Amino acid sequence: MSQPDNASRRAFLRNTFTLIPTVGLAGGVSLTAKAAEPPPNLGDYQPAFFSDEEWAFLLAACDRLIPGESAGKGPGALDTNVPVFIDRQMDSPYGHAERWYMEGPYVLDGSPDLGFQYPYTPRDVYQKGIAMTQQYCQQQHGKRFDQLDADTQDSVLKALEANDIDFASLGESQKLEASEFFSSLLENTKEGYLADPIHGGNKHMAAWKMVGFPGARANFRDWVDQHNVEYPLGPVSLTGERG
Amino acid sequence: MTARHLIPLLAGSAIVLANQAFGADDDTVQRGAYLARAGDCVACHTAPGGKPFAGGLPIESPFGTIYSTNITPDKKAGIGNYSEAEFAAALRQGERADGANLYPAMPYPSYAKLTDDDVHALYVYFMQSVKPVAEQPPETDLGFPFNQRWGISAWNWLFADADTFQPNASYDQLTDRGRYLVEGLGHCGSCHTPRGFAEQEKALDGDSEDYLAGANLNGWWAPSLRGGDDGDGRGIEGWDSQAIVDYLKTGRNAHATVGGEMTSVVANSTTHLTDKDLMGIAQYLKSLSANPAGDGATTADQRQQATDETAAHLQAAKNLSDGERLYIDNCAACHLDDGNGAERVFPPINGNSLANADDPTGLIHTILAGAKPPATPTIPAQLPMPGFGWRLSDDEVATLATFVRGAWGNDGGAVTADQVAKVRASIDDAPLDKAVDPNGELNHDDGESHAANGAQ
Repeated sequence: MSQPDNASRRAFLRNTFTLIPTVGLAGGVSLTAKAAEPPPNLGDYQPAFFSDEEWAFLLAACDRLIPGESAGKGPGALDTNVPVFIDRQMDSPYGHAERWYMEGPYVLDGSPDLGFQYPYTPRDVYQKGIAMTQQYCQQQHGKRFDQLDADTQDSVLKALEANDIDFASLGESQKLEASEFFSSLLENTKEGYLADPIHGGNKHMAAWKMVGFPGARANFRDWVDQHNVEYPLGPVSLTGERG
Repeated sequence: MTARHLIPLLAGSAIVLANQAFGADDDTVQRGAYLARAGDCVACHTAPGGKPFAGGLPIESPFGTIYSTNITPDKKAGIGNYSEAEFAAALRQGERADGANLYPAMPYPSYAKLTDDDVHALYVYFMQSVKPVAEQPPETDLGFPFNQRWGISAWNWLFADADTFQPNASYDQLTDRGRYLVEGLGHCGSCHTPRGFAEQEKALDGDSEDYLAGANLNGWWAPSLRGGDDGDGRGIEGWDSQAIVDYLKTGRNAHATVGGEMTSVVANSTTHLTDKDLMGIAQYLKSLSANPAGDGATTADQRQQATDETAAHLQAAKNLSDGERLYIDNCAACHLDDGNGAERVFPPINGNSLANADDPTGLIHTILAGAKPPATPTIPAQLPMPGFGWRLSDDEVATLATFVRGAWGNDGGAVTADQVAKVRASIDDAPLDKAVDPNGELNHDDGESHAANGAQ
């Protein structure tokens, strides 16, 4: 057979083959989209760390520290799931003081410069602080903190802040002070209010919307040169939620 | 005698005899090692986490999964018993030593171009310098009729007709060397040349306009490598030779960062080639006339105008579509309003071949799972793009991809949530799961939970 014949036959075959059907791949089980789950309703939330009684205290205290729409100008701590944030933090390395030096000695009478000196993790501080505050409320008012009216709750919180409640007389042996407990509570409440919703609080970025914080957008180069122009975009969260 | 040869000398006379039989010297071994790099043998003939050249990598083909073979000089599991003639037949004709045909996943239609000298150097390298591994990779077991290896003879007769490389005097020496590497060992056409009805590459050399004209590889667009300047001006057509060299050497240049399958090609093969050879490759690719601009192709001016419009709208950030808002919230920080990113750091999406491909699979995959450029000797840093699969729903990815494929003069076409769901299902869970654990902490690659200190 001569070469040209061979070549032309090959060309013929090349051009007249029908398509070979390719083997279809069996579809796997499709994964559902992993986009952010909606935040829980506070009323439905089952705390992982706090007991029911502690949880009732936490809800009441947070509500006084950052009151809701009716009392303040913006969303409150309960509107924004701040107690959920605190509950989740209790189960985080922070709650367990996992990265703190927690061996002794504890210099309980030392200067504040020495920092946190209790043998307690934040979990312990909350449990002990709440228990002693409840004890104080029972002694003073015959009710639990969450059963008191708002003004009385405020006075208890102020007494905690000012160290006017003597934890030692309520059984505290390691000199944990009421003001120390209060400052943790206030600090964590603020954090839960303003932190990214991925941590459980700041539900739907309500706090960011109120203060005009644009969230986790990573780059604002466009706005360096735009003077006296109102920033038109709502916030975005780490999970990509758009406000 | 070098130290390297001294050890085999002491170890056993058989090896010494073998050395003498080959008449091999260090130069030949080194040249063979270099050619093995150029052929990227290691990429396919090494399983993930396996020993080099011991085979076992599963290669998905339209006909089923093909497992690469052990090409270490182990006498039982590998090719230790191959004579040089048998080695050459496997390389250039796809013929196993026992006479059976190799599946054309092995690019022997391209390797057919190899000169005898280079086959010899490769043989010496594999026999003397590659460590034998006595591991038998899984047998390829395709269903009928593709398990009938004799059938490949007909396929070979039809399609594997390339002859040994013949120098072409119309090219300068360097460009012709590039042509040899591209058409031969580089087997660029395996991915970048469209395939015909029998999965054959439609062309094996630059004589045809189909050659390296771009092809779909498991959903990823392997773009046209035809770099001449008579097409629509996009893609490699807009790169100069040095940009091509940079891309192959470092995995990135001013126009693009390598992604998909090409990532391992750069890491295992092209980054190890000499600048001179890379320049030859670049010059040859630039000598191929670009794919002709199709009907409705845009001009560079039109694309620039579209770029300015998109960028201005994003910058003003008013009356945004969902796609625009998603781009601003997720992408613009790095890829910027004009979609051009930052040179050599954040690749452009504007004009990007993957973003504009007919099949959006590669783009969707990149959005869902992210991308990581290779560490190359000249640019070892790997600044990865994070995956957004955990952050965006299928609908959101579809909306975002549709925007990206239509912004700045891109013309890729719309993407549906169904398409995204399919790609998502094809990706291992891991890259999509870098999301939220029950404590609301962000998980990071390094295992540190950076968010854990949030309340301190």
